[in-house]
Amino acid sequence: MKTYDCEATLTDSQVLDFCRNGFLILEGVVPDEVNRRSTEFCDEHPEMEPTAILNEDWFHENVTINPVAAGAVRSLLGKNFHLPVLMSNHRVECPAGDLGGWHVDGNFDFQPKLDYLQVFYYPQETPPEMGPTAVVPGTHLVKNIARGMSHYGQIRNATPTASPAGSIFLTTYQIWHRRTPSTASGIRNNLKYFYWRTQPSCRDWVVEPDFDFATADYRSPAGGLVDQFRDCMRVAEMFCRLCGREDLYQNLGGQSWPLPADRLADPYGFPAELNQERNG
Amino acid sequence: MNETIKQQLTNCIRLHRDGKLKEEDLQQVMDSIEDGACQNILYIQASTTSLGSPAQGISMIIDGQVQDIPVDPKEWPYQSALEAIRDGWRVISFPDLSLLMDETNPRGLGCEFILENWSND
Repeated sequence: MKTYDCEATLTDSQVLDFCRNGFLILEGVVPDEVNRRSTEFCDEHPEMEPTAILNEDWFHENVTINPVAAGAVRSLLGKNFHLPVLMSNHRVECPAGDLGGWHVDGNFDFQPKLDYLQVFYYPQETPPEMGPTAVVPGTHLVKNIARGMSHYGQIRNATPTASPAGSIFLTTYQIWHRRTPSTASGIRNNLKYFYWRTQPSCRDWVVEPDFDFATADYRSPAGGLVDQFRDCMRVAEMFCRLCGREDLYQNLGGQSWPLPADRLADPYGFPAELNQERNG
Repeated sequence: MNETIKQQLTNCIRLHRDGKLKEEDLQQVMDSIEDGACQNILYIQASTTSLGSPAQGISMIIDGQVQDIPVDPKEWPYQSALEAIRDGWRVISFPDLSLLMDETNPRGLGCEFILENWSND
């Protein structure tokens, strides 16, 4: 099993944002020369699974263990995370019409936990005209099935991952997503690969001394798709799990934690041990 | 209802009053209704079961073609199922409440209304 370790780079707030949104875009983190070589490799290996690219040292150093991306992966999946062993390429000749294909990838799990990451790398600039993948923020916690989604059209808050060359974006595997229509001409490569957790979760990312579990905002951008406050509970549970404190997560109903409100004191039902986490 | 069918029905009423309405006259109206008729479908997924609840998702099939709808929700053709009804769409399916009852396990794109009209309406 090939694993990797490095410094975690995300802060409490950034990890919580990931729990809320279900994805993170790291723009332009891969050097231009590596983007050029990756594009050339994809041109020479236009198949759907150019896995051999993972064996290239220049790719390994600059993409697979890219310092910015690996630091984020390390934050979310813990130390000694498992490195990718398969590379897929969603290679599209543009222009290409809208397939309308909102979906979740197969073998999904909508539980509020994070044991693996699906990661995408654009070696070329991918503006809206090149049909970037779009995601619906927060839907990693809203259960769906691919065969029940294909009639969906436009969805409020859907976000295209348009970004400059060398961008890497991390996603929860089960987030709702699709390719968007492209109007420009050219080849769009979108390399997709996977990292796995090998260690139990713990809060070993960049701890913010003043981070407050009691008043943190656990609302999700997908709150409009679920019953009131249910998004907050799912996000808070996911964050507690990432902190390795799923045993502390609780919801006592009514206006208790983790519902958002401007209260006089810590919310009723807020786990005391998380206060200790907050205070170090 | 299109003008041709309206005129044919008006003619049928006149013939009926005069005692001259024949089966062929009614068949002609039926043929006109079926000629070129194509069911148009409008999906609106809303936050709640209220017809006026803001759309969270939308898709349309007109004359058998999936329509391009702007990404920006402000530019969607309808902001709610109620707006579509006011524009002549008819609801053919209301949200399935059984899918909403497990509130701890949210699923799907909200409350789905399915509406129809006909291309010769």
